[in-house]
Parts: sequence; structure tokens; C-alpha cells
Amino acid sequence: MRGGTRTALVALLLLWSLGPMLWQLYTSLRTPEALLAGAGGLAGGWTLANYGAVLGGDPPFWRYLLNSTVVGALSTLLTLALAIPCAYALSRRRGLLRLLVGGGLLAAAVFPYVLLFLALLQVARQLGLANSLLALCLPYAGLQLPLAVLLLQAAFAELPPELEESAVLEGFSLWQRLRWILLPLMGPAVVSTGLLVFLFSWNEFPIALTWISRSELLTLAPAMARIAGSSVYTVPYGAFAAATVLGSVPLLALLLLFQRQIVAGLTQGAIKG
Amino acid sequence: MSSLLLMAPALLLLLAVFVWPLLDYAWLSLQAQSVFTGLETVPVGAANWQRLLADGRFWQDAGQTLRFALVSVALELVAGLAIALLLHQRWRGRGTVRSLALLPWALPTTVMALGWRWIFNDPHGPLNGVVQSLGLATVPFLASPDLAWVATVVADVWKTTPFVALLLLAGLQMIPADLYEAFALEGGTPWQGLRRITLPLLRPYIFIAALFRLAQALGVFDLIAVLTGGGPASSTESLAVYAYLNAMRFLDFGYSATVMLGMFLLLLLGAAALLLWRRQAEVGA
Amino acid sequence: MTKTASLRLEGLCRRIGERAILDGINLEVAAGECLALLGPSGCGKSTVLRVIAGLDPCDEGRILLDGRDITHRPPARRRVAMVFQSYALYPHLSVERNLTLGMELRGVPPEQREQELAAVLELLQLGGLRRRRPAQLSGGQRQRVALARALLRKPQLMLLDEPMSNLDAQLREELRPQLRAILSGGRAPAIHVTHDQQEAMGIADRIAVLHDGRLQQCGTPRELYHHPANLFVAGFIGRPQINLLPQDDGTVVGIRPEHLVAVDSGGVPVRVRSREWHGASQQLLLESAQGPLRWTCDGNQEIGEELRLGWEPRHEHRFREASGERLGSPGRHA
Repeated sequence: MRGGTRTALVALLLLWSLGPMLWQLYTSLRTPEALLAGAGGLAGGWTLANYGAVLGGDPPFWRYLLNSTVVGALSTLLTLALAIPCAYALSRRRGLLRLLVGGGLLAAAVFPYVLLFLALLQVARQLGLANSLLALCLPYAGLQLPLAVLLLQAAFAELPPELEESAVLEGFSLWQRLRWILLPLMGPAVVSTGLLVFLFSWNEFPIALTWISRSELLTLAPAMARIAGSSVYTVPYGAFAAATVLGSVPLLALLLLFQRQIVAGLTQGAIKG
Repeated sequence: MSSLLLMAPALLLLLAVFVWPLLDYAWLSLQAQSVFTGLETVPVGAANWQRLLADGRFWQDAGQTLRFALVSVALELVAGLAIALLLHQRWRGRGTVRSLALLPWALPTTVMALGWRWIFNDPHGPLNGVVQSLGLATVPFLASPDLAWVATVVADVWKTTPFVALLLLAGLQMIPADLYEAFALEGGTPWQGLRRITLPLLRPYIFIAALFRLAQALGVFDLIAVLTGGGPASSTESLAVYAYLNAMRFLDFGYSATVMLGMFLLLLLGAAALLLWRRQAEVGA
Repeated sequence: MTKTASLRLEGLCRRIGERAILDGINLEVAAGECLALLGPSGCGKSTVLRVIAGLDPCDEGRILLDGRDITHRPPARRRVAMVFQSYALYPHLSVERNLTLGMELRGVPPEQREQELAAVLELLQLGGLRRRRPAQLSGGQRQRVALARALLRKPQLMLLDEPMSNLDAQLREELRPQLRAILSGGRAPAIHVTHDQQEAMGIADRIAVLHDGRLQQCGTPRELYHHPANLFVAGFIGRPQINLLPQDDGTVVGIRPEHLVAVDSGGVPVRVRSREWHGASQQLLLESAQGPLRWTCDGNQEIGEELRLGWEPRHEHRFREASGERLGSPGRHA
């Protein structure tokens, strides 16, 4: 492909990917009057008031970000703690059980989990788990386990078996082998799996929507939906846009920081499948 | 045996999260539990299932969901392949562009759905700004049943194409470069190379991407709930949204469980048909 | 210090499904002895090591180390050290950490760790490489680190799985005497798996030849060469390969290429087809009524020349064609 064509295509790709977000950024910095006036009036009408409105709301917007961060981090830790031993055991087994568990995990990984929300909600009500950020980590970990186990077991399977055998002969226990030999070598896979789980938990909507009703406990996704459905913020969308920008910035940072690991994680998933 | 012990905690949580709900629905779908029963469960036999079979909205939503999924995933595969081919070539700044192009996929669906709602806004959204500057009347993108579902497809393609592109990029990187060199030495053009080498070798990746995306698109919920709320006149409503409305708005839990189980059975049928078709295609090949 | 121990394998069997990978292996390795397990690839020689180490299960038979049955002991408690073909150095750890991690986790006190580390670094001339990662080492250096790690285990049995196969030919030749010196310096028995007979002969006190999961013969290199127990060993040991001449009575006569001599009458009529120069000698490929023959000689025969070859009866090996077993006294070597 010639350089000129390629540059044009890359520009098109970036415009398509970033355009909507850039438009949100633009909108968030404009006064309602400037937005209603339509295009043309670039000279005046710039403001930070939209951010003020969102951050000064009750509860303030950063609260949702904090809630999502807490849920994301705890769910990630819980998922990894459950998935690592399971993936290890699965990667060391042959035969029917491995086939069954592997197939079941793949089916669960592609299962549209939104179907499960009602039963999970009932469990939450019966066990008194509603309106608890900690409890939200349980379904999140459960829902992300299939993908996490599949990714991690592929990473375990890629390690040369004699590394672990050598450690066995040196007298290492299972925990010592994991702690000193296997997990350090799987660092990239663990990080990328963790990131995928974190992204899911940060973004999850239907379960958070039904489990959490107290507004100071809302995570980002249901909070955004609530903003969209409420009349607290004025139309047009200045304040909405400020909320979308604030909700996107942490993820943009995460993406730029861990671009390589996320790509590697998805890639492994593809090879595995 | 100790390996079973290591797997046990994860498998137990999986059973609780995936298997228990389906069993629960199976039971609940044979009960009435709604405002009319005072939210108590009352056994009603197959009444919910009879209602489902005769429920025009369920079948309409099933058709709409299928249309949404097929059109979105087809567009995503084509656009994803094009982007993957572009990102597979070597050029300066490729890494940065790759992570920027990934941004739509990483954002919460509710966040971006809200963004698209503004873009499609009538009359103040930027899209209608363009329309107006051309001297035309504004278009009610989200208020017209013919256009609203297209808007949901556009937003979905925008959000999930990066994921497809990344999977296909991984596949492209698995193809050894010397295959193309050998093909070029035999006089093959790049276009022929794409058709004779790239696509056949990429097939497993395309299959996986299509499988993941189809499953997700058939379960679409967040995007529609925030972008259109299923409207106008439930013309963009998906099965998941309908099931949600039954439970959370109409408080008809028995029927909601029936809708979800019905949707699950339809998915199962679809998956079985797909597997059969693929096996037959393999045998035929 | 390690007590002297000897290893005994009694009727070792390992099966995968219907297939017997090992079929009744009996072997004995004395304290301080180095035994080479030699065989073509796929003969089961690595499996023997893995079963002894406990990495693969043993379906039948017993493993006795120093008189104690360790057949069902977990691998970590066998006090067996193994040098893997790939060396299996921990890639994320420095040479020093590769060597000390095991001691640390086994609870060796720090002063003793430092002492033993210094001693083994000195023995294997690794002092300058302490801080390097495995990826920054040459093949020979990696082998020495793997060996050092195995020695620090204070094993009662040392196992080496093709430790030379990742090195180039010249380095292999240089390292053979070094490896032999280290192995014979220890008091634990050692088993060295290889497919290279030069290596086996260069390092081991005795060689056990394995084929199709069965032990074919075990003895000194000299015994194997001069009194091969069957057709397989005869053909496998010795380069260039032995000449095998089928007879009318259902037996096969084997005669080493260097034992053929030109004769004026009698013998086998042959024609010279091609020639390989080996410096001190030359190897001729000959045509005869019984098929191609190899002859190692220093003569000056021309391509196409016809002559007759014979041999002294004492150099003749005779085997039964059907079973491959040796006929006549399998007696001690001359």
C-alpha cells in the first residue's frame, strides 16, 4: 500500500475511533446556549460549569469512579485467586475431565450473562447481599472465571514442563513452585487476565443496576444510566458529556499504560480458542 | 485427586453463578409471581410457556435481536478485518494507533451509549448539525423505528470492531511471512494472496471472533437500555431488554424467567445448528 | 555428606494404554559408578530416568536406592537430582539465585548456603557469572549451571538426560572429560542418557543399550563392541557399522569393517564402489553378492577394482537371524 493511501486510512480509523469521544469532550466544555446555537459560534460559550455540576452533584461523580475502582480491584483479586489454582490443575490434567471442564468453560465464556441477572438478584435478596459493593465481587468473579481460567491455563501450558519438574526434584512444594517459578514466569499473562477482569467489572451494567439501589454505592455504569434517565442534569447534554469524559479518562489511562498486556491477553485468548 | 481440590472453589462458584440460575428459572417459569399474586409464587403449570408461544412481542424482539446481531457482527467482521490488515503492516506510530483504536472497546457501554445518544440527538446533535448545514430538515434518528435500529447497529459496530480487529490481528501475526514471499515468487498478486492465503488461514480466528461476538450481540442489553430504552415503540427492544422489563418494570418474575429461559433455548438451538453446519462444511470440504 | 548408595531397578515397567514404553528393565548401578543409557530416539531411555525420578509413574517393578524401596515415594523426597536436556534453568533468576533458591526453600542456613555456593562455583568455574541470567549464558555455561544446581541438591542419585545434545560437536568433545571428572568425583551413582555412542563411551563406566523399551545388553564399552549380545547391539555399537552377511542356515555373520582383509583365494568376491577418506584410514563401500559391505583399510584400491575379502574366525560374530540372539559363547572379551 502506498504511503499516502495508508496515511488517509489511518486518519479515517482514528477519526472513527476517537471522533465520538472528542465530540463529547467538545460538548462538555460548551455552555448550553452555545450548543443550542449549533455550529459556527466557536468564539464564545466555553465553560467548565458542566464539570462543576457533575462533580458537585449528590453524590459527587468521583464517588462512582471510586466505587467502580473498589469493585474492579476486589473482583480482579478474587477472580485471580480462584482462577490460578484451577487453571494450574486443569493444565496439568489430561483426558475426559479436562475436555469436559474445558468445554464447559468455553461455553460459559461466550454465554450472554445478562440472562442470569434475575436469579442472581434473587440470591442477593435472600442472602442480604444487595447494596453491598463487596458482595458484587462474587458474581463478577464468577462471571469472569471462565475466561480467566482459559487464558491462564493456556499460559501454564506454554511453560516448558521441565521447569516445574526441576523444581519438584529440588523438593519445592506446590505453593513454592507457583510462588517462585511459575507465576513469575507468567507475569504478563496474569497481568493481562487481571486487566480484562478489571475492565469487565468496571463496566458491568445489569447486575450492578439491580443489586445496588443506594445512590452513593452506585458504580459507574448504572450511575451513567441514571444520569441519562434523570432530569437533574439539564438538556442539552453538557453535563452528560462531562460525565462521559470523566468516566472515560481512567480507562484511557489504563489502556495507554497497559496497551501491550491487554493486546497480549486477547491474543492468547484467540490462540487458545 | 489433589487437582480436583485445586479446581473445586472455582468450579463451585461457577456452578452457583451459571448453573443455579438456569435451574432456578426452570422452576420459576412454572410459577406465577407478580403483583397479581402479591409477589408470592403460585404454581401455574405451563401457563407461562403458553403465554410465551403466543406473545407477539417476544417473537418480534427475537427477530429484532437476530437482525441486530447478524448485521452488527457481519459489519464488524468486515471492518475488523480491514483494520487488522492496516494495523498488521509496519509503519511508524502503529503501536499508539493500535491502543487509541482500542479505546471504544474499553469504555463502559453505558458511557458510550450516552455519547451516541447525544450524537444522534434531534435537533441539537452533531449529526443533525451536519444535516442542517446541508440545508436539509433534521432527522429524528432515535425517534423513527426505521432509523433507530440502524443507530444501535452503528453504536455497536463502533464499540466492538476494535475487539474483532485485535483477534484477527493476532491471527494475521500467526501466518508466516515466507508464505507470502513464496506466493509472490509464483507470481501471485497481493489481492490473490489475501484470498488464497490470508482468509483460509485466518478462518479459525474469524470463527472464534464471530462466535464470541454473536453470543454477545444476541444478549445485547446495556447499549439498547441506555441508547433507546428499546423504543421507539419497542422497535429496538432486544430479548434481554424485554426480560429485564418484565422483571423490573412489570414485576412479573415468573414470566421474566420464562422469557430468559426461552431466549436461552433459542440460543442453544442456534448454537447446535451452527455446530452441525460447521461439521457438515468440514465433511464436505 | 551423602552416604554412598547404589541403585537397583527390578523389572521396571511403564505402559501407556496398550503400549509398553518400558518392558521389564533390570539394572544395577554401583555407588560412584556412571552408567550410560544408550539407544535410538524413542527407545524409552528418557522414560527410565523419569520413572526413577518419580516424574512418570511406574506400573510394575521396584526401584531400590541404597536398599530402600523408593518406587512410590514422591519425587521431592527421593533425593534425586536431574540435569535436563534443556537444562531447565529458571529463566527469571540469576545464576546465583538459580543455585541458591532450592537450598533456601529446603531450609539450609545462610552461612552454609554461601559456603556451598562458593565451592560449587569454584568447582565448575562459574565465579564470574553469578549475576547473569540464563539467557546471557552460552550453551556450555548453562550446562555447567545445571550441573552445579544438581550437585547442590546433594543427591543420592544423579540423572542426566542428554546433557550434551544442545551443544555443538566441538564443545561436546571438550566437555566430555570434564563431565566425567565431575561425575566420577561424586559418590552417588549416575545415569547418563544419550543417543551418542561416542559420548557414552567417553563418559560412562558401563553402557546399557535400550531398544523398544527392553534392555538389550549392559556392559563395558569394550564388551559391547567385542561381544554384542544380539544383532541390534552389533549394528548399533561401532562406527562404521558392522557388516552383516546372511547365511543359508538361518544365521547371520557379523564382521567389523576393520576386521576384513584382502585374500588371494576364498572369501567373498567384491567390487569397490565408492570411497571416504578419514585421514588415518579410508572407508570403502563395496558391492558383493550378499549386498553392500563396508571396509576400513589403508590400502590403495581404485574405484571399480575387484578383489576378494576374508577375515579371521576369531573376529566373526554369529547371530540367529530370526531372533537376533548371539550364537556361541557370549564369553568375556579377549
